Amino acid sequence: MPERLANRLKERRSELGLTQAELAERVGVTRKTVNTVENGVFTPSATLAIKLAGALEISVEQLFWIER
Amino acid sequence: MNSYVIGVLAGIAAVVFVAAVIKWRTRDRPMSVAEKADFLSKRRARMLPALAVIFLSQQASFFSQMTGAEHISAEKAKITAWLVLSVVLLLGLSTKGFWLESKEVRNLVDDENTRANRNEAMRWGFLFAMASAIGIYVLTMFDTVTGREAVHIVMSFGIAAALLRWGILEKRAHRDA
Repeated sequence: MPERLANRLKERRSELGLTQAELAERVGVTRKTVNTVENGVFTPSATLAIKLAGALEISVEQLFWIER
Repeated sequence: MNSYVIGVLAGIAAVVFVAAVIKWRTRDRPMSVAEKADFLSKRRARMLPALAVIFLSQQASFFSQMTGAEHISAEKAKITAWLVLSVVLLLGLSTKGFWLESKEVRNLVDDENTRANRNEAMRWGFLFAMASAIGIYVLTMFDTVTGREAVHIVMSFGIAAALLRWGILEKRAHRDA
């Protein structure tokens, strides 16, 4: 069974009332990058994962986990 | 004037014309850096496959010329214009692109996902170029292929494959779930 990086980006973003564009602006990427991470199409670098977690005010482990 | 110089000038004029049209079309749209980067990124996703088709159609024009016609002035100009377009497309593939935009916009439009997509596209371009080189090598066992024809085929497949792959990846990235 292949491993994939799951996330609760959309859920947490909605909790904070942020749009993809607003979150993208906070972490310094385009909306497209946030969209691909959220959909599991793109695996972010450690740097981006930390920035996303910081912007969403939770830890990286709470935001991302490995799904088997 | 030398036919090769005419080709270079024609190629540069075409590139400047396209850049000017793009700038003119966005003149009355006040946008923030993030909005502009998103707008340009979407437009790039739409343009890449179209550029690949235009680039490949130029090859049809090259291969439809008669043998020995490369000495005719018009053919020399066409070949040089193709070379200018190839160099511009390669620069677009290997740099952040959007050279007329501000540094902030260029940095944002070349974010992590874009760089990953571009690297994947370059990998495809390299593989297609190598595959076409192998194909030409086999072909020369049965037929004559000139150096110029070989360069045309290898560059065409390599650049077009990279453009198409990048376009597909960018379109997929913009698609909402």
